[in-house]
Amino acid sequence: MTTLSIDIKWSRDNFNLDMKANFSDGITGIFGASGAGKSSLLQLIAGLEKPDKGQIAIGNDVLDNCETKQFTPAHKRKIGYVFQEGRLFPHMNVQQNLLFATRYIRENKQQISLDEVVKLLEIGSLLKKLPKQLSGGEKQRVAIGRSLLSSPRLLLMDEPFSALDTSLRRQIIPYLIKINQKLKLPILVVSHDLPDLLNLSQKLLLVKNGQIIAQGNYLDLIEQDLLINIMEESGLNNMISFRIERIETDYFELSKTTPKGQIRIKRNKKLQHFEKGDEINVSLRPEDIAIALNQVKDVSIRNQLEGTILQIIKHGNQTYCLVDVGFKLLVTITETSRQSLKLFQGETVWCLFKSMALKVNV
Amino acid sequence: MLLSSMTNYFEFTNTEWEAITLSLQVAFWSALLCLPFAIFTGWFLARRKFKAKFLLEGFINLPLVLPPVATGFILLLLLGRNGLIGQFLDEIFEIKIAFSYYAAVIASMIVAFPLSVRSMRLSIEMIDPAYEEAAKTLGANRWQSFFRITLPLALPGLISGFILAFARSLGEFGATIIFAGNIAGETQTLPLALYSAIQVPGQETTAFRLLIIAVLFSFVAMAGSELLVKKLHHRKHKA
Repeated sequence: MTTLSIDIKWSRDNFNLDMKANFSDGITGIFGASGAGKSSLLQLIAGLEKPDKGQIAIGNDVLDNCETKQFTPAHKRKIGYVFQEGRLFPHMNVQQNLLFATRYIRENKQQISLDEVVKLLEIGSLLKKLPKQLSGGEKQRVAIGRSLLSSPRLLLMDEPFSALDTSLRRQIIPYLIKINQKLKLPILVVSHDLPDLLNLSQKLLLVKNGQIIAQGNYLDLIEQDLLINIMEESGLNNMISFRIERIETDYFELSKTTPKGQIRIKRNKKLQHFEKGDEINVSLRPEDIAIALNQVKDVSIRNQLEGTILQIIKHGNQTYCLVDVGFKLLVTITETSRQSLKLFQGETVWCLFKSMALKVNV
Repeated sequence: MLLSSMTNYFEFTNTEWEAITLSLQVAFWSALLCLPFAIFTGWFLARRKFKAKFLLEGFINLPLVLPPVATGFILLLLLGRNGLIGQFLDEIFEIKIAFSYYAAVIASMIVAFPLSVRSMRLSIEMIDPAYEEAAKTLGANRWQSFFRITLPLALPGLISGFILAFARSLGEFGATIIFAGNIAGETQTLPLALYSAIQVPGQETTAFRLLIIAVLFSFVAMAGSELLVKKLHHRKHKA
């Protein structure tokens, strides 16, 4: 896709939305509290609502232009929308749901076939079932598949994690990553849960009271002190992208190579939905990392990464160090430790963490 | 002995047969012809918000409470030979509606219409508009989403609307006798035949036979409708 650009004003019942942003390829997470205007933004992009002022365009294709009163109706936009509740048509079985959009697209313009969708989302065994016979996660996958078969140029997802049980909510992540990577389909994902969102993408758009407060990479936003307030509530986390080295039936291995060394992870667990060479997000809590001034030899902690302190952020009682160890790592320390170690910006330090502190989110 | 006298008892005369079959035909056509209007009006009332809605609702429901004789009279004033529209139809197209089979169908339609609309409307109101929204994002325009999503989901309302209108038409008397008359073989439906039989001394057997049939038809229609609606509404529309 070429860039989606929005510059719109919209009001309803005392709620004012005023947003200007550009979205490029990849997965962008739109984060904000409930009622911040995230879903309204998606509805405006999808054409289910009309902006009062401004313009929405994909590349040179102007979808809405309030000045010329040009509004492209939702069914002509080629923008897929996966609703929070799935909204599968109850009187159609899964296959009929999946094929709903195909009669509105010429065959030579189909980007993906039913077989490919079924394979990608692993829903082959569900085709003859009715929506009410499906679990929450299955419904969601079918809803995604139904959207993909409308050959969209952009996919909107509203709260993909909240329709599912806590233990299952992240199951959707590998599918979305695959869709983005294999179909080159840009995705906008709305969520009020930052840790879930970060598992999917580090490109964020922060929304509050109908306005965009920030847009950018997650760690850049932390550096600008824009995210810490918000994130402290949900728990700060480092998201590190690892490469899958090995997948066996009872274990898998991941690695992260930096100019200064390599971290390896081995887990005795079955890894589904991924292939060797795929990227996968691993989280590491800032409070699980220790800082030392030198490499520590006689200790059980194997992961020791050398890095430079980029920034020290004091926030309330907490002190955060942003350390460049080949990638950016956020570390929490107490102010007392900072003073006793005499840490300062630009200093070389060692970051220590146990292998088990690395959480593979699948 | 008793059995053969019973079967004799239920040997219908020609006039009676005509009244019964005519009733079924008129009821079928009026219920069927009501449907497209009822679907549109029901959808309009269920999905559109406007201030004067109560006026439209009042107008549509008028035949429910208006004395059917009055409804028939209004029809006569409009579509009768000297009526507002009737005159025009007669002069331009040489169509005479009043006191014909068509008049019987129209009278039944008007009286049954509110029931048909109500059933459609309730059914459409139960359908979450979110499904129609989803259909739009999948490339379906308003009509496509109506015919592929709304209408199939409103099927229980459609069926029960048809049956209710059918049953109401079977019982229609007042509007029909005024607007369509009581012409044996043409507009004399079962209730009219029953009425005639009661009026004439010595026709008690005919009257009783028609009474039994009327009760039977009405009961089957109502019980059948209840059963269907229950069955269909049990398939909950939750995805």
